[in-house]
Order: sequence, then C-alpha cells, then structure tokens
Amino acid sequence: MTCAECRELVGELIDGTLAPDRRADVQAHVGVCAACRSLEEDFAAIRRAAAGLERPAPPDGLWMQIAGRIKSDPAFKGRTAARPPSWTMGARWLAAAATLVVVVVALAWMVFRGQGPGGGQEQPGRQAPPATRQSDVASGGDAQLVESVESELRLAEGHYEKAIAGLEKIAKANERTLDPQVAATLQKNLTVIDQAIAESRAALGSQPESRPAQESLFEALRRKVSLLQDTIVLMNEMRKGDQAGAARIVEGLNKS
Amino acid sequence: MARCLGGDVSAFEELYRQHAARLYSLACRMLGNRSDAEDLLQDIFLLAYRKLDHFRGESTLATWLYRLAMNVCLDHLRSRAARMGQVTDSLDDDGRGIRAPAGSDSPPDRALVRLDLERGIAALPEGCRAAFLLHDVEGLEHHEIATILGIAEGTSKSQVHKARMKLRAFFRRTPSRTATGA
Repeated sequence: MTCAECRELVGELIDGTLAPDRRADVQAHVGVCAACRSLEEDFAAIRRAAAGLERPAPPDGLWMQIAGRIKSDPAFKGRTAARPPSWTMGARWLAAAATLVVVVVALAWMVFRGQGPGGGQEQPGRQAPPATRQSDVASGGDAQLVESVESELRLAEGHYEKAIAGLEKIAKANERTLDPQVAATLQKNLTVIDQAIAESRAALGSQPESRPAQESLFEALRRKVSLLQDTIVLMNEMRKGDQAGAARIVEGLNKS
Repeated sequence: MARCLGGDVSAFEELYRQHAARLYSLACRMLGNRSDAEDLLQDIFLLAYRKLDHFRGESTLATWLYRLAMNVCLDHLRSRAARMGQVTDSLDDDGRGIRAPAGSDSPPDRALVRLDLERGIAALPEGCRAAFLLHDVEGLEHHEIATILGIAEGTSKSQVHKARMKLRAFFRRTPSRTATGA
C-alpha cells in the first residue's frame, strides 16, 4: 500500500468502517510508516476532541417564544379550527392534567377518611374504586397516597410558576415594544389574575382539600400563562411591524 | 405525531425537548454565534411544525429535523454572505486563511484545545463544516449525513476527510496546543 492510498483510508480506519482485509492493509502500512501513523494519530485526536465538545443548551425561555409563534401561525390555526380559541392545547392538557390530579386527590382524601381510623363504612350498593376496596389497604398506605398526590399538585403548581417566571422575564425584557395603552390593559388583566391566584391560595390555606379552590388556582395560573404567552406573541408582532397581527392579538387581550 | 398534527402544542413541546439541544448545538457551530442560533432554532421548529404533515417516516424524525435545520442554517449563511458581500475566511488545505492559535510553552490545556477546535471548525468551508459536525461532533453515520445534506455517501466521507485534513493542518501550526496533546 502506498502512502497516498493510506491517507485516503486512514479516516475510515479510525471510524471503524473499513472492511477487514483493507483494515489489515492500512494497519500494516501505518505500522511501518511514521508519516501515516502520525496522520492516523492526529485524525483520532481530532475525532476524540470533536466528540467531547460541549453541547450548549438553548435558553430556558426559547420554547415559550416558539410556542408563541406557533400559536399565531396559520398552520396552528388550521389545525385547531374546531377548537375553542381561548384555550391552547398545551394549556388545555395541563389544565386537564391538573384537574385529573385534583380528582385523584379528592378521591384519595375520601378514601382516607372512609378507611382511616374512625372513618365511615362503605354504603350498600356502591362500590369503592378497586384499588381501595380491599380491606387490607393499610391507613398508612392511604396517607402515603394522599401525600404523594399532594406533592404532585405542588409539583404541577411549581411547573406553572416556573413557566410564569420565564415568561415574565421575556416580557419584562421586551416591554418597551408595547404601546403604553396596550401595556396598561395587559397590566390590568394580570392584576385581576394575580388577585384570583392570591384568593385561591388563601382559600387553600384554610381548606387544603377544597377541590373548587384547587381548580380555581390552576385555572388562574393557566390564564396567567396564556396571557403572558399572548403578550410575547404581541411583542414579536410589534417588533416585526406586523400591525394586522398585533391588532388581532390586542383584540383578543381586550376580550380576555 | 398524530397529537402534533391535531394542533396539540404540548405534544410538539415534547418533540422540542427531545431534539432542541442537538439542533441548537449544530446551529451554534454552523453559524458561529449563539444569538443567530437562537433565532434560527425558532425558525427551524416553526418550519418543522408547518411541515410535520410532510414527514413520511422514510428517515427517523431526528434525521428529518437535522435536514430542516441544516437547510435553514445554510440558507441563512448564504443570505448573510450575499448581504455582507462576505469573503469567507476559510481554511485552505494548508491551514492558511485563519490565524493559528498563539504558541505557548505551557502544557496543553483542554479548554484551549476546545476553543481552538471551535475556531478551526468555524473557519471550515460550509460543506466540510456541515459534514464534520454531523459526523465527528454529532456522531451520525455517512448514510444519514448523505440524506440530511442531499449528497452521496461517498461525498460525505470525502467532506469529513477534507475537514480533518484542514483541522490537522491548523493544529499542527501550534504543536503545544494540538488536539493530540489534549
């Protein structure tokens, strides 16, 4: 094998993609040729260094901006034409998940009260959920279930708060792009939502198991996420100079 | 996929979470700066959302997204070059065209080698850079790169080979900070 042939194949040697007979030829040549061995070592080092390069992470708030652009895109509107306009699918899913968790909490709470010390008996003709109908379910297990579901609720609330914090940061950084009158309307809407969040939290403080209070809190958090997403979309439209798009969003904000 | 096509943004968010880091990383290195990469990552995912119903499953979703991303990046680079009347400062075969890293008597430093490698990659011609990033950084196979870049598998191999040769020439100008030394 000549050095020219070896140079053409040495990359495939370090990639491990050479057929066995060719690999043996290249390895034999590299064993006796210092220049080709040096090339092989350098290629291998470059490949190792490249594979070890860090992968920079996209900024936290970037998804929110993409989601905002998707929401204002005709493709999204086409796909969601049959859906109620004020609900994004993401918010809808989250709200549905939150509601589901609330239902589970309520169920778990009822089960705990029914099966725990001093709890009521099962009513004739009504079946409890299979997982909790067994008499050997220990009250300690029920307490763990309640605790686990409550921690999931706290987690869901944490997700909302994280999303809100990210959105607020983006909105704050771009607030100058908004017309003062529109900014005032947004602030007014946010104040109403914040009031609802505060009231729901106060209600939950006195009645932690209250399902209406939990639903109210998650609904208010969902509304805040949605409003902040709309705000960021509006800022993008303003920055792009799309007056028609911006006007449509402002109209929606005034209705919310 | 069906949920995405039904307008479920949360399903599309899952797709974003799975693929955003690698596409962002690719865009950063193709474009040479994070700010442009952030803008283009938005464009890439918006385009992916619009074109989702064009995805036929003939390649993996990751390959399809890489292809979209690479097209967006290359279009951007070409329009930027056209706008700026840019003279591309690429590495020639012998490493000219980019200032080699300053020599140093200190032992090789991994961080410096990494920075030099990033600079070397940024100075590669677009075709070489794309193939090298996909192969040596992202770890894709040549047949996948051929699909992503719309080139023959043999062309992918030769582009990666060229990129390695150019980077080697670049590093060999500064023996104390070669990738080999790291």
